[in-house]
Amino acid sequence: MNSYRSHLLLVLAGFLLCHHAPAECAAQAYITGNGLAEFTSSVPLYTFTGTSEKLTGRIDLSDSTVDFYLDLETLETGIGKRDKDMRITLETEQYPFAEFYGKFVTPFDANSEVPQSVMVEGAFTIHGAKKQITVDGTLQNVEGGIRLDAEWTLNLTDYDIKPPRLLVIKVDEVQKIRISALLQPEEDDAANPREE
Amino acid sequence: MKDMKQLQFFTFVVLMVSVTHLSAQAQIDRKRASTSSPVAEVFLTPSVVTMSSVTNLPRHNMNVTIMHTFGLVSDGVSELFGLDAPANIRFGFDYGITDRLSVGVGRSRYDKLFDFRTKANVLRQTRDDRIPVEIAVKADVGIMTLKNGFDLTDRLSFLTAVLLARKFTESVSVQITPMFSHFNSVFVIPDGQDDVIREENDHFAVGLALRIGLGQRVALLAEYIPVVGKRSDGTRDELAVALNMETGGHVFQLFVKTSQWLTEQHVIARNSEQFLSGDFRFGFNVNRFFGLDRQ
Repeated sequence: MNSYRSHLLLVLAGFLLCHHAPAECAAQAYITGNGLAEFTSSVPLYTFTGTSEKLTGRIDLSDSTVDFYLDLETLETGIGKRDKDMRITLETEQYPFAEFYGKFVTPFDANSEVPQSVMVEGAFTIHGAKKQITVDGTLQNVEGGIRLDAEWTLNLTDYDIKPPRLLVIKVDEVQKIRISALLQPEEDDAANPREE
Repeated sequence: MKDMKQLQFFTFVVLMVSVTHLSAQAQIDRKRASTSSPVAEVFLTPSVVTMSSVTNLPRHNMNVTIMHTFGLVSDGVSELFGLDAPANIRFGFDYGITDRLSVGVGRSRYDKLFDFRTKANVLRQTRDDRIPVEIAVKADVGIMTLKNGFDLTDRLSFLTAVLLARKFTESVSVQITPMFSHFNSVFVIPDGQDDVIREENDHFAVGLALRIGLGQRVALLAEYIPVVGKRSDGTRDELAVALNMETGGHVFQLFVKTSQWLTEQHVIARNSEQFLSGDFRFGFNVNRFFGLDRQ
């Protein structure tokens, strides 16, 4: 019995140690802190985009998790006044982040260098409202990491966001979202955003 | 047997802790991109009413301004409280070269005055209060283009100013602006009573401005520019009170003010009206902001 107990304790200790050194145990994780996030808004006869290069995220191929967030105050549309309007609309003081957390529902071959279509399901949160969504994208094994490109549409009213107005013209409640990022292997990145 | 139960309990606890730990690690920590970024808009527009504010234009943004002042309200109903009187109008264009440096040009009806100006933010107040104040410097050169036979140098007027401001809360901002104006040519004018009105070349003033937010898009503004020291005969300190309304890319300002002039050096050196005596006038500014680097 003593031998059994010692063996079990050894396994548990190893298990615990492994959890406290996730970088070593999660060699298939990739991260970014400077991905591109872009939205496109439309009003009649006029379209404008807002972009940020502060998209932060992590993809873990070992458990298929995808985790991204963006500080919404880093979005810029090219006009300072419009940026301020956007922040008021999104209430960024109270809800500073747009977040997605989900899992791949299609396989990804990490050994192939061909762009692969992937589908991710998960929860998208913005303005304090959470909604389950499915996102189609492309993942490609490239030199230095993996490249992610994805697009989807977001309906503002689904997230309790009142579409803003430019004078009397209402901004379309459907917004086109695009993200693009090169994610680097987690252990190679000194600026690891993951807290241990 | 007791040892076995203890082991089972220990195993259960370890597994629970491990699973909880895994779950907590599943998402990366959410961190704000920057807490030391500049505060947003100490004032809503690059000008309080006439006086420049520390707020500068973002890079590659342009502000097209129409400033308009009417006659004195005290002229009464027969003049529709000044609306029938000749107005002074200034059209202005300002452009943000960087987030901290802008240049501008304007043209006023009075004196057919062109003015060229630049403003640079030396310090930006940060959200974490690491830098508690905003400091900017401003320079303006005015060129009178009336056909009066003056040489170019006699047509020039100048203003330099240091703008110090703090946004205390989302609703309250205060600005202090020491400023110096110089006119290359001034006049000594008979006043019709065996005396003369003597103008000074130089004036020093300390402008004060206050913004009180009345909502996210509306603010009440006050601007007071007392001259300190020697001043031209018969001139008074400028006082203006304005209501700011923001609608997307526009900021409308409705105000009452004493001086009909729309450039600071002229407001300091040439205002002859006194607000508290009832000598003020209606006016408005329209600011339209454009982004020129992309749509």
